[in-house]
Amino acid sequence: MLSWSSANAGDDVDLTGVADGSGGLDIDHGDELLRFATACGERDDDALADARAVLTAATDEAFMVDAAAVAANFEMMTRLADSTGARMPSEVLEARAGMIGAMGVAELTSRR
Amino acid sequence: MSDVAVRDDLAEAHRLAWEHVASPGSWWTGAQRVELGSTVLLSIADDDPLPPWVGVSTSDRLPAERVAPDAAHDAAYRIARHAGTMTEDVFRRFADELGELPYVELCAVVSSVAAVVHFRRNVGLDIPPFPAPIDGEPTGERPNELADAELNWVPVAAPADEAAAVVQAYTGVPGEMTNTWRMASAQYIPVEEMIHADWSRRSGGLTRPQTELVAARVAQLRECFY
Repeated sequence: MLSWSSANAGDDVDLTGVADGSGGLDIDHGDELLRFATACGERDDDALADARAVLTAATDEAFMVDAAAVAANFEMMTRLADSTGARMPSEVLEARAGMIGAMGVAELTSRR
Repeated sequence: MSDVAVRDDLAEAHRLAWEHVASPGSWWTGAQRVELGSTVLLSIADDDPLPPWVGVSTSDRLPAERVAPDAAHDAAYRIARHAGTMTEDVFRRFADELGELPYVELCAVVSSVAAVVHFRRNVGLDIPPFPAPIDGEPTGERPNELADAELNWVPVAAPADEAAAVVQAYTGVPGEMTNTWRMASAQYIPVEEMIHADWSRRSGGLTRPQTELVAARVAQLRECFY
């Protein structure tokens, strides 16, 4: 979805920068969002508070809340997918081979 | 904790989600659902988490008196903290003990509670307590016809596999389907807008690529292949 929506917006996103958290993305406030999303998914409360403050300063509070909600949504959807054995049709997997390699997810237990 | 303004539709979706947890489901009572929701809170907050293969019911971390079965607590704890380690064999063991549709409902309780808990942490707000459980027996509500799916381990409302796996996953328990997609609409994107690459909730809000950047990073950190 990131590749698709970015391509539609005329941007070319390097997924390895998302996968390893290094950033350098051709998306407005991409680095602040990536730092915030990473902190949302990890367990360091101080790092999360810092990332929240940086994102809010760069945008506004409502923007940060929207980003927090998206992160929360994928806490929900990842559990939904992994607990119910959700898998993609083989033709979709083939079409996404490049993304799978760039994100480094081919060896995950959750690949079905 | 901070004082953050949460837009009304999102606050309402989360208020309804908490109310939903405390209500009788198709297969679990309100008291059981709240108890299992508490195990989700325990699991996510646990600073010394049990490994995936250890059932929380074998530890001393749960209240001694419980109304939900041990296997339900074990599944709730594991999915809340180690969802990416779930395999079909593990699913089958839980489903054989709990029943397939009660398992689906349990998954939905876990995933919806996880969303609210993580949102509150993400924005720096306290987690509200669950409402008091609402009395009443499980409703037994289910689709007119169930079907085995190629794209999920769990049975879904017939016909199977005409929608994406994540869309059909909870269709075997209609009340959970409704709650989950109400939450997703407020947290992420309304279902009817999914196909629009230029959708944004408001002027100056997250663009679709910004939205998907956050989604991709969280999914990757959770080791979710899907």
